[in-house]
Amino acid sequence: MSIDRSYQASFNENNQEFVIAGKLRPQSEDEMRPLAEALTNSLAQVRGTFYLNVKRLARLNNVAFRAITNLVSQVCDTRPELRIEVVTSSVMGWSTRKFLPLAERLPNVTVNEYDNDFYPGQSFLEEGGFIPILRNQTKLTWRHERHLLPRHGLKPGMTVADICCGIGDFAVLVQKELKPSHILALDHSRTSLDYARKVAAEFGIADIEYVYGDASEMVIEDNQFDFVTCRHSLQIFDRPELILKELYRICKPGGRVYITNEKNSHCLGEPRGESIQWTYTEVAKLFADFKMDVELGPKSRRYLADAGFEDILVDSFMVTNGDGDPQDFANMIQAWENVFAGEMARDRGDSPEFIARFRQGFQDQIYAALHPKGYAGWPIWAASARKPT
Amino acid sequence: MSGTKPLVEISMGIEAFASEWLHCDRISSYLARMVSHNRTDSLLYANLLSSALNELLETAFAHHGPEGNFSCRVSRLGDSDVIELDLPCDDMTLAFYRDAAQRLTQPDLAGIYHSALFSPGKPDPHLGLLEVAVDYRARIAIVAEKGNRLKLAAELTLEGAAA
Ligand SMILES: C[S@@+](CC[C@H](N)C(=O)[O-])C[C@H]1O[C@@H](n2cnc3c(N)ncnc32)[C@H](O)[C@@H]1O
Repeated sequence: MSIDRSYQASFNENNQEFVIAGKLRPQSEDEMRPLAEALTNSLAQVRGTFYLNVKRLARLNNVAFRAITNLVSQVCDTRPELRIEVVTSSVMGWSTRKFLPLAERLPNVTVNEYDNDFYPGQSFLEEGGFIPILRNQTKLTWRHERHLLPRHGLKPGMTVADICCGIGDFAVLVQKELKPSHILALDHSRTSLDYARKVAAEFGIADIEYVYGDASEMVIEDNQFDFVTCRHSLQIFDRPELILKELYRICKPGGRVYITNEKNSHCLGEPRGESIQWTYTEVAKLFADFKMDVELGPKSRRYLADAGFEDILVDSFMVTNGDGDPQDFANMIQAWENVFAGEMARDRGDSPEFIARFRQGFQDQIYAALHPKGYAGWPIWAASARKPT
Repeated sequence: MSGTKPLVEISMGIEAFASEWLHCDRISSYLARMVSHNRTDSLLYANLLSSALNELLETAFAHHGPEGNFSCRVSRLGDSDVIELDLPCDDMTLAFYRDAAQRLTQPDLAGIYHSALFSPGKPDPHLGLLEVAVDYRARIAIVAEKGNRLKLAAELTLEGAAA
C-alpha cells in the first residue's frame, strides 16, 4: 500500500486549479522542466486566484519544492494582483508545514488545509456526538449483515477495506466472525479512530489497521482489496460518485464493493405511524439542507452501474424492534433525536415549534418500539457489485 | 544507542548506493513502510518517516567518501525511531558534516532553515539536514569514527506528532 508511482500533474481551467499528485523526488532541476513549464503556462492563463492543489502529493523533495516555489515567487513579483492558494491535506502529514513558510514570505500566497470543509455536514459526523449513534446502529445491522456479507461475496482469507469506518465496530465484527486475512479501516474523524483503536486494543485485535484519510482521495494504491465496504456513508457526501470512484479504484479487478445506505423517509412505526412518518420525511429534508442524501438507498443500483461495476446485487432489510432487545432500537432512535433535532436543527435555524414536533416523531417511534404490540422499523439497502477484470 | 531495538537495516557498497538516484526514494519508501505497520496510523507514519529519511539519504548520496560500506538502519526507542546512516568519509565529507553539526547547534534553526529553503541560486547543501531537524524535530548526532567512517543518527518522534 505504498505510494510508489511518480507524479501526475493536470490543470483545470474552469476552477483555475493545478493539481500535482504522486511523488516528486527529482535529482536535478532539469527533471522539473516539464512540470515547471506546465505550471508556468497554467499560471499565465489565470486571473484572480490560482489554486495549487497538492492534496495528493505524497512525496516531495527539496529540489522539486524549490523549483515550484521559485516559479511561484517569480510570478508573484511580476503579478502582484494574482492570488495563489496552495491547497494541502492533513492526510499527508508533512505538506502544510512544508508550504506554510511560503505564505509567510509572499503576500500573494495562502496555504489552506482543505479538509475542514469537505461538505456542509462534515462537523456533525466527525465530532463525538455521532459515536453513540454509530455504536447502536452497527449492533443492530450486524444481525442482518453477517448473513448478507457472504452472499455478497465476502469470504475468509480476503483482504478487506472498510472506508468511512466510523468507530470501527463493523471491522471488528467482520474480523471476528468472517475471518478475512486483513482489514484496513479508514476514516476522517480522529475522534472515531481513537475510539476504534482503543476498542481494538482492549479486545486484543490485531489485523485491523485503522488509518486516517480522506475517502475521496485515498493514499492507497490501485487494485489492493478483494472486498471494499462503505457503509452508511455514500449518503453523506454531496458527490457520492467521487467516493465510489475511489472505492472502485482500490478494489481488485474481480473483487466487490459493498455499500449500505438508507432511505430515511421510510423509517416507520405503529402505533403513531403518522407522526413518525412526518418526522422522518423532515429528517430527509434536514439532511438535504446539509447536502446529504439520506434517501440514497434505492439509488444504489444506479450509482454502482454508473461507476462502471457489473454483476450488481441489491438487497434490502428492515432493522426492527423485534430483532433483539427493543431497548437497543429505542436507544438508536434517541441518539438520532439528540443529534438531528439538537445540533443539526439548531444549526439550520429551526423554530422551537418545529423542533418540538420534530422531536415528537422520534419519541413516538420509541413508544412504538417499546410497546408490547408495537412495531418500529429502519430500512437499509445493501448493494454490492463486481469490478470488471 | 542504548535501549534501542534494531528493526531493519539495509547495507551495500557506497558506490552501488550512489550509482543510482532512485535508491534514495526506494530505500526511504521501503524502510518507512517496513517500520510503520505497528504505529498508530501506519500510512501517516510511513509518509512522514519516508520524507525525513529521504532527506538524509539524499544528503548522504551527495556527500560521502569514495569507497566502503554504506548502511542505513532504523531502530525503535519507544515512541521514537532512530535512523542511523553509516558511511565512509574523506576529509572533504568530514568537513561537510562537521559544518552541518555545528550549524545544527545554532539558535533560531527554523530561521536558518527557512532562509536556506528559499535562498536563490544553488541550494544550501545542508538543507535536508536542517529540514529534518526543524520540520521533523529530529535530534541529529554526527560522529566521526575511526577508519574514515562517519555515523549520522537522527532520532525522530513522529508518533502523535502529525495530529
Ligand atoms: C454515517 S458515518 C458511518 C460510519 C460507519 N461506516 C458505520 O456505519 O458505523 C460516516 C462516516 O464517514 C466519515 N467521513 C466523513 N467524511 C469523510 C471523508 N472525507 N473521508 C473519510 N471518512 C469520512 C465520518 O467521520 C463518519 O465516521
